[in-house]
Amino acid sequence: MTPSVLPRRLALAGLAALAALIAAPALASPSLGKPAPAFTAVDSTGKARTLAEFRGKTVVLEWTNEGCPYVQKHYDGGAMQDLQTRAARDGVIWLSVISSAPGKQGHKTPAEANAWRTRTGAAPAAILLDPKGQVGRAYGAKTTPHMYIIDPAGTLVYMGGIDDQNSADPATLAGAKNFVVAALADMKAGRGVARPVSPPYGCSVKY
Amino acid sequence: MTPRLAGLVLALTVLLAPAAQAAAVDTGHLQAELITQTPAIAPGQTIQVALRQEIDKGWHTYWRNPGDSGQATKITWTLPPGWTVGDFVWRAPQPYPVGPLVNYGYSGEVLLPMALTAPAGAPVGQAVTLRARADFLVCEDICIPESAELELVLPVQAQAPAPAGRWAAPIARALDAAPRRADLTARFETGEQGLKLAVTGPALAGQDLAGSYFFPFDGAVIDHAAPQSVERGPQGLTLGLTASYAFQGPEPPEVLIGVLKAGEAYYEIEATAGPLAPEAAGLGPPPPRSGGATGAGLGLALALAFAALGGQILNLMPCVFPILAMKAASLAGHAHEVKGARRQGLAFLAGVLATFLALAGALILAQAAGAAVGWGFQLQSPPVVAALCLLMLAVALNLSGVFEVGASLQGVGSDLAARGGLTGAFFTGVLAVMVAAPCTAPFMAPALGWALTQAPASALLVFAALGLGFAAPFVALAFAPGLLARLPRPGPWMIHLRRVLAFPMYGAAAWLLWVLTLQAGPMGMARLLATALVLALAAWLYGLAQGRPGGLGLRAGAAGLAGLAIIATVYPTYPQAPAPGAEPGGTVAELPYEPYSPERLAQLRAQGSPVFVNFTAAWCVTCQVNEQVALARQGVADTLAATGAVYLKADWTRKDDVIAAELARHGRAGVPLYLVYDARGSAPVVLPQILTEAAVIRALKAAAG
Repeated sequence: MTPSVLPRRLALAGLAALAALIAAPALASPSLGKPAPAFTAVDSTGKARTLAEFRGKTVVLEWTNEGCPYVQKHYDGGAMQDLQTRAARDGVIWLSVISSAPGKQGHKTPAEANAWRTRTGAAPAAILLDPKGQVGRAYGAKTTPHMYIIDPAGTLVYMGGIDDQNSADPATLAGAKNFVVAALADMKAGRGVARPVSPPYGCSVKY
Repeated sequence: MTPRLAGLVLALTVLLAPAAQAAAVDTGHLQAELITQTPAIAPGQTIQVALRQEIDKGWHTYWRNPGDSGQATKITWTLPPGWTVGDFVWRAPQPYPVGPLVNYGYSGEVLLPMALTAPAGAPVGQAVTLRARADFLVCEDICIPESAELELVLPVQAQAPAPAGRWAAPIARALDAAPRRADLTARFETGEQGLKLAVTGPALAGQDLAGSYFFPFDGAVIDHAAPQSVERGPQGLTLGLTASYAFQGPEPPEVLIGVLKAGEAYYEIEATAGPLAPEAAGLGPPPPRSGGATGAGLGLALALAFAALGGQILNLMPCVFPILAMKAASLAGHAHEVKGARRQGLAFLAGVLATFLALAGALILAQAAGAAVGWGFQLQSPPVVAALCLLMLAVALNLSGVFEVGASLQGVGSDLAARGGLTGAFFTGVLAVMVAAPCTAPFMAPALGWALTQAPASALLVFAALGLGFAAPFVALAFAPGLLARLPRPGPWMIHLRRVLAFPMYGAAAWLLWVLTLQAGPMGMARLLATALVLALAAWLYGLAQGRPGGLGLRAGAAGLAGLAIIATVYPTYPQAPAPGAEPGGTVAELPYEPYSPERLAQLRAQGSPVFVNFTAAWCVTCQVNEQVALARQGVADTLAATGAVYLKADWTRKDDVIAAELARHGRAGVPLYLVYDARGSAPVVLPQILTEAAVIRALKAAAG
């Protein structure tokens, strides 16, 4: 072993160790029946929105990514827009959240987000832009779509998939059991949410 | 017909017979086709067919549970009446981390076998066309749903065909590699410790279980991205999992079904809720694998060089000072008789080597038996700490002149360390290593981390090199008459030197008492103080006896008391100290910290906070020195406050499997280890083991970006 080899091998060993240690930052995992994680995020109109400002109203959080085929399944035929419109009619605050990091699929600038809303006829109360993924991580959002419902007292009452059809095929919309519709109906009727959790499905959130 | 002829006929039959045909379909990011293990099928026969995927480089498809996102590969057959096909036989998947998520899937070539059965009335002599639609979600960073309409043309023949053709062997291998049920018993339990899954059975007993992992069939039961801790037991293992949302629902899971990766083997298990088998735990996490360890890239030669260098540096570590002081005094006494000095130097070397090898041997054996031990492990045991404390006290009392050992006055050291010249030097070496062990010097950490993952012979060599390095300065001194000659001649000054050197030894005893207090609480401390008192009395009685001819009664009394003191340090067992958090290190508590847990670390990282993790132990003097000179500093406190970084302390003073596993994950066998995680979720930066305030501040600022 020559003296010059040693530092280089050391450096290599160090690099290898670093590479081996790449550990993804973890997601938090929110608890049903507990206060939903508070957040502050800027919406597509540039306004800072917080969960607290909607206290007293039911809030739906919808993680979305325009490029994701599973999201497209719900938007292309207008199914998601329909849900958003109906929610608004019932006084439910629907927040679409984009947690894609800059450069990743689905990332949107405020102008792009507004254009997307116009183009698709989406009707959320606001589109929250979360390019650093802080809101997504706080809620443990894994997929697009990934749905959360927070009751007027700020308690998390539903989390999971939008329906029971883990597929990107639009044909599966017909006959699907929509868990968000069911949960909102339960809440409107003053019942507990019968099915408060379900498997989220779709593309991974592009943190 | 001779066998050869029979083979030829068979080969011709295969060549001439119409064989199963299928064409591969390119779906965009993969090639898909249906393949068969036999060239044909007989009525009523069940053969193995498989969906073969050749996935583009960098892309993957999914397992039956795709993990946090994704979708399992699906096949929908259109079969003529009477034909049936079974489900995929899924090979165990690979975890694919995507940012903070983990998916389970496959890349490259994937075979998913299925059992296909022809009806008894299948038309012999005809070829049947079987159609299937395969749906894939193919993902790189983004995901694309792709599908293929596949066709399989399969001749039906009267004679049941044997496996043959290009795909016979690959399908056989795929079936062989599939996880199978073994005679395993699995139970799971949820509690404050999270979700624990214990699996026992003969197939797991005594296996290398490093890297064990549970892949659930159901995507709702565990947090796929959370690390799974592994604890071994005499008959199996216990995995520490993180329960997922299914456990929050109104009907929490009653069974956990999935694939257990145990070492390199895969088993399908079905765990029911219930008390965990005690034989599935108790032996700590598996020893670290060489893969991914800091020292993994080291060859034996380099490890030996590091070890020898590290051994020399070990002489500079604070924990060895008192022993070295003692050795210096001994050497001074022999300075002017060259021959004696040399023999003493060699005896010291022998003592050092023997102890290093004995400790290493014990460590290797303990690890082989499955205990979660690392370097310095002996100081995690309260009885050992207590015994060492008494030993230090005895040495100190001896140096103070309370008693002498044997008739000789020239030996310096404890009862053992002072016996004659050579035995004394030998045991000085033993003593030095015993207390030096917890001070893993910077160069030793990778070498030891490497050594403990190697074959015992290589590991022992590394430890021997460490011992050589450690003893080298003294041996060199003993063999350098020029240096020795500079020391003053023996005389009354030696008595003063011995009296002075007693104080570092009292200090060492006090330090070990403090260590024990952290491990066993105030009651442990009270007990050790009482035994120390008894031992001191015994030493004084012994000293008294030495002054009188006869004095047998006094000697017997001293021996009795000393025996009593030693027994009392070992038995009964020590209580566990109260949990950390209210740590008595209050004098340096200007630096606010939280106790480390993997969950807290994950939570902080999820929040995007920079995190500084200090893996430390009370018995690790290097750690304590670093805390004083580099961490408990206003500059560090200010930087922590300014950057919003959180200081987590992982205290390894007591045996802690979670911390041991985390150290192993970073390729370390001991403390200290300092990690700085930045706010952006990158891999942690490992700080040097000798810290400076400036280095800590720099790293924190870089992490806050």
